[in-house]
Parts: sequence; structure tokens; C-alpha cells
Amino acid sequence: MDWSPKIVAFVCNWCTYTGADLAGTSRLKMDPNVRVVRLTCSSRVNPLFVIKAFERGADGVIVSGCHTGDCHYSTGNYYARRRFAILHDLLQFMGIEDDRVTFSWVSASEGNKWQQVVNETTARVKALGAYHPQGKVGQAQ
Amino acid sequence: MKSLQELAFKLLSEGTVKVVIGYEQGPLGVRPAFITDPAQSSKLIFDRRCTQNLATYLNPRRKHIAALGKAAVVVKGCDARAVAGLIREQQITRDSLVIIAVRCGGVLEDPISTAELTAETTSPRCGHCQVREPKLYDHLLGELPPEPPVNPRRSEQIAAIEKMTAAERMEYWNQHLDRCIRCHACREACPMCFCVECRAERALPQWIDFSPTPRANRGWTMMRVMHQAGRCVDCMECERACPEGIPLGLLARYIADSVEQRYGYKATDDPGVPAPLGVFRTDDGEEFIR
Amino acid sequence: MTNRFLSHENLSKLVADLAAAKTRVIAPVRTNDDAAQIDYLPIQKLEEASFGVRLPRRSAKEFFLPATDVLLKYRYEKDGFEIESVPTTAKPQVILGPSPCDVAATEIVDKVMNWDYRDELWFGRREATTIVSMLCSMMDATCFCTAVGLGPDAVRGSDAMLVPVEGGYVVRVVTAKGESLLKNYVTDQVSDALNTQAEKAGAEARKKVEANMPAIPAAFAESLGRNFDHPLWKTMALRCHGCGACASVCPTCHCFDIVDEHNDAEHGVRRRNWDSCQTARFTVHTSGHNPRGSQTERFRQRVEHKFSIYPSRFGEILCTGCGRCSRICPGGMNLAEVVGEFRSLATAAPEGGAQ
Repeated sequence: MDWSPKIVAFVCNWCTYTGADLAGTSRLKMDPNVRVVRLTCSSRVNPLFVIKAFERGADGVIVSGCHTGDCHYSTGNYYARRRFAILHDLLQFMGIEDDRVTFSWVSASEGNKWQQVVNETTARVKALGAYHPQGKVGQAQ
Repeated sequence: MKSLQELAFKLLSEGTVKVVIGYEQGPLGVRPAFITDPAQSSKLIFDRRCTQNLATYLNPRRKHIAALGKAAVVVKGCDARAVAGLIREQQITRDSLVIIAVRCGGVLEDPISTAELTAETTSPRCGHCQVREPKLYDHLLGELPPEPPVNPRRSEQIAAIEKMTAAERMEYWNQHLDRCIRCHACREACPMCFCVECRAERALPQWIDFSPTPRANRGWTMMRVMHQAGRCVDCMECERACPEGIPLGLLARYIADSVEQRYGYKATDDPGVPAPLGVFRTDDGEEFIR
Repeated sequence: MTNRFLSHENLSKLVADLAAAKTRVIAPVRTNDDAAQIDYLPIQKLEEASFGVRLPRRSAKEFFLPATDVLLKYRYEKDGFEIESVPTTAKPQVILGPSPCDVAATEIVDKVMNWDYRDELWFGRREATTIVSMLCSMMDATCFCTAVGLGPDAVRGSDAMLVPVEGGYVVRVVTAKGESLLKNYVTDQVSDALNTQAEKAGAEARKKVEANMPAIPAAFAESLGRNFDHPLWKTMALRCHGCGACASVCPTCHCFDIVDEHNDAEHGVRRRNWDSCQTARFTVHTSGHNPRGSQTERFRQRVEHKFSIYPSRFGEILCTGCGRCSRICPGGMNLAEVVGEFRSLATAAPEGGAQ
């Protein structure tokens, strides 16, 4: 069975989701591996979403929102940026490759950018292969 | 420590507090003490074995302790940061307790040991300590001891991990997290884990699997570390409590360093300083954003 | 119980033969993460084992009740679901060199595992396992196996016990299983000198542990029960974090939680996972009520269960005196101290007293 990456994208409603919609209506060609989860704001993204996505079988994760200064709720993405920075450092430290996770700002008019984010993330994750922690259940088992 | 015993006696007999939470000699080594009777104040000690972070006992969820009444708590500089954290996050109010701070020259990693403080026996968190004289207190006791020896074990291990490839890091953490049995001792010993219901206990919706499997153990550990980001005071109680010897202190330190490098924030015993993930600057770094 | 002699060479050969036959051999081994620590781990050669260094970090219970244990698998079908049970027979394994405290625990827990319901997974593993324990020389001030009716030379639960002597081991063969495992490796003739050496080693070991705590009388179970409401529980529970680390390392603690976990939309497993009565939510009801709402009740429960309730139900103390709980407790709780305090009350009149 050919493996195809499962990528989950947590995107904000006002910018990235609309930008993704624009990419769609513009018929831009994108890899079909991304499952989009729409949220009100990038600040709604609990780091647990990303952690759980990996726990549940995602091979890659995209988190995307409005450009700073353009947040629909004024300051949401500023808080989110700090949270994502620390999450990014933690994921790396624990051995999740940098290429599996993409943080981006995509505005409502940036259909092309969304296409780029999707295709480049998919290519990077494909190159890395499936994500499995490879641990054993109990060291003595 | 005579000044400590005398102060405890005074606070208890005058009724200023109903309990003094400090350290005593137990059957095996130093352990937390709860003195309610002034006559027992002579049990209180303070020396290099007093490694536990007593701020954990201030958590209002510990009803059987809260029921004792107003408490005085003995803190080292690092513990005072946890007290400040609890005040900052409105778990306790400043006037609800009496803080007895003690000047500290470092502690042993193991409260059962009787060794002298050396680079090997001292807790890795003590090196270059900036709070040997705590600033959050109602009473400040003790002479200022010399600076603690620096135990490089942790910083060396972090440096080693930073040089590893992603696959090697994954293998390193697997080797440790395979032993995790989800007892959650790390959470219970942590002064900043005070949630009435931990996310890991929620079944509807279920965030992290309950079972000790590789994927869930990673999820649990990462979740707890993220919840501590900017809040952790690096007391290393999590690592000490873990019955499996998982080096959780590495994560505590690594994330604290990350927060410091990015936002200039260090755990502080000033409750007025806001937690770094609760504020922002418009010019925060975003090199990780593609 | 008969004595045999097993040379070092033949023990080495036994391990090699078992490994070649793909029978899992578990022994105390220096851990990868910390050379000062010992864990029970699989070995391929005798040289990998480290006997008599220190008590392993974990007990041997995980070989009979794993930290996570799949009970059944399920699969959603169009009109319902299919359940696939898991096999209750296990592959043969040998546990070599466990301490007598860890071994006796298995027999003590057998009682509850065969009480109102026979736990087939537990007994499947018990039947598949041959336990060759070793005389314990690792005692410290925290253990008290002799006080609970066991000892560093107790063969309870073992199929055979090895007593280190010159040139090898005097083997106390206890069961037919033990005899069958060892018969091609042991010699029948054991010299008087070696027998004496073995006796002496056992007696010396016992003496060391006996110094830690006097034997607990049968009446203690009942007096502890009468002291259920004693205010001492409140004082003792103060420093307990309710972390459950004690239960996880305890050879006799066996409580578990059952969860269903889906792996994807259609497939899942039901597991049982180690749990502890010390955790805050252990007894939370669906209504939200918690009969053990504070650490006082929870801590009391642990001690009462081990030293009063289990004895009155099964005639066994649910503790083998290994001391692990007291060594690893981050809050400095000490079971020997607790038992000691309540024993000194045993002769006094029962005290009431609200919390």
C-alpha cells in the first residue's frame, strides 16, 4: 500500500481559511493530504491540538493564522506566536523533525501562499516518511 | 536552625499561624514537616538536605492542609518563585500566608543523602543561583552561605541532545518514556500543577490516552511541559518524584532557557511580573514561522 | 524441599539454553539510563545479569500484571461490533534472581486474583512462568520482610531458590516446575560444608532484617481496623502528595483502571492500566461525590487495605516489606513508621475523634 502523508492543518477562520478558500476557487493545484480544521483564531490553537494530532497518527501539522497586526481579534496572534515558538522548540527537542511542523501566516488574499504552504509541507513530510514514535510498550515487554 | 525554631514557636504560640510547613528529620532523611504544636517547633531544621519544594503544599486543592488554617511556609529562593507563581495565578493571596525565607547555599539532589555539597551531589539547578537571598518574604533568616558548587550534569546532557539528530533525540526520549507508567507523580509533586481536573484526566473529550503506551507517554509529557512553559520554577521536584528516573528536569530547564532566550523572562519571586505566555511584544521573534 | 547444587558454569549454560529455545529469561540488570539502578529486564546471557547489587527499581509484578494490559480488541462493523479476545495462555518465561519479597508478592496477590472472578490473564502468565529466586543480601534499614512473615530466605512463591555459596549455588527446589527446569543442570550431592554455608547465609540475612522491625502480630489487623477514625491518620497524611508512585513500585499493589481506546474510527482496544488509590480521583463517583475526598482518607485506605482489610479477607498481609514505597516517596512517607505508630496504639483503648 502506498503511503501518503496525513497532515492536519489548524487554521484561523478570518485569514488563512479564507485564503485557502481563495486557493480553491482559483483552482490552484494542491496535494490532497491536508485535513483542515477551522478555528476562530490562531490563538485558539491549543498546543495540545498539535501534540494530539501527532499522537493520533498525523505525519505532519500546519498551524496558520493572520499576519501579526492583522488579527481579527487584534492581539490573538501575538499571544499565539509566543505559544507556538515554545511549542516549536519543545517538539524539536523531543525529536519531532522541524520539517514535520509548519507555522505560517497566510492572509485572506494569499491563495498562492496557501498553495505553497500545503505543497511544500507535503513534500517535506513525504521526504521524512511516516511519523511513529517507535517506542516499546514498557521496556521489559 | 535555632532562629527558625524560635520564629515558628512565636508564630504558633501567638496564633499568627496555625501550621508551620518546614523541614524535619524523618526516618530516612529530610522530609516536609507540618508543625501545629508550638512545642514541636524544635523539630524544624534547615540544611543542605532540604531539597523539597514546600510550595506544593500550598495548593488549595489540598483540602486537608488548607483545613489546618493559616500557614507559614519555609522557602528557599527557588521555592519562593513557586509561591510567587501561585500568587500571580491567584491560587493563594499574599496575605493568606507567612513566608519564612532562608538564605541558601545550594542543596543536595537527594534529601536522604548526608554527603557534602560537591559538583556531583549538588542539585543541578543550584549552580549560578541568583536567589540565594530570597526577596519574597515576611521573615528572612540565616547567614548567607558561599555559592553552591555547579553540577554540570544537566547542562551537559542538554548540550548533548542539542547535537543529536532528530532521530537520535527521538530514540533518547523513547528510551526514557518507555518506562513511564503514567503514575503522574511528576504532576502531583509540582507546585505549579494545581488544576482541580488535569487535562489528562478528562475522558470527554479525551485529550491524551490514559494508557502508558509510547504515543500517550509522549503526549502526556509534552502536554505537561507546555503547560509549565513560563511557569515552571525549575525546582526539579518532577524528576525527583518520578519512580522511574525519567530526566524530566531536562525538559524543565530546556523550556525555561527557551523562554529566557526568546523573551528575557526568568522565573521570579516577584508576583507582580506577568507570566511570559500571558503577554506579548509586537516585535517578538518569529524565525520559526515560514 | 530438596537441596541441589548448581555451578556458575551450569547456570550460565541454563540461561544460554533457554535463550536458544526462545524462552524469555528475566533477571536483575543494570539499567541503560542509570548504571546505579537495577531493573528486571530480559537477558540473553548470564553475564548480563547483576545479582545482589540492589533491589530493582520496579517489582516483578509487571510480568503478571503489565502496566498496560490489552483485555480485548474491538472492531466496528456495519451493524454492530466484533470483539476479539486476547489469548490467556502466555509464552513460557523464567524470572531468574528476583528477591524473595518480590516473589512472595505473586502468591499473596493470587488470592484476590482468584476471589470472585478468576483472572485468566494473571494466571496464564503465572502458569507460564518459572521463578528461580535468590537469597537476598540487599537489605537496608528500610526493609521489613521478616516482620510480615517472610524473610530474605523465604521460598514462598518460588519454584526454586538459589543461595550463593562457593563455586555456585545451593539450590532449594520447591516445586515440580523448579525441579523440571533445573534437573539437567544441578547435581544431587551437596556437601555438608556447602549446606552449612547456605544455612549460615540465610541466618545472617534474616538477622539483619529482623533488626529493622519486630514481627507484626495477627492481632494488628483487627486493632488497625478499630483505629479507623484515629486522628493520627490526619497528621500522617499531610505530607503525602497523592502521587501514587508508591503503588507503582509496590509488588503487591494491583489496582487498575479500565479504558477503551480507539486506534482509528473502526478499531480499538480495551486496556487495563495500573492505578492507585492515592490519586485524588480514584473513588470519584459518576455523581461527582468522592467518598475519599482528601488525602487523609486516601492515605488511610492504603495502610488499612494492606494491613487490615486484605488480612481479614484473605488471611494475608498485602505487603512483603520490600521498602520501595518508603525509599521513593517524594514526600518522605514511611510505611514502617506508620505501622510502628499504630502498633504502639494497639494496646491502648480505641480512640474516636472526628477529622
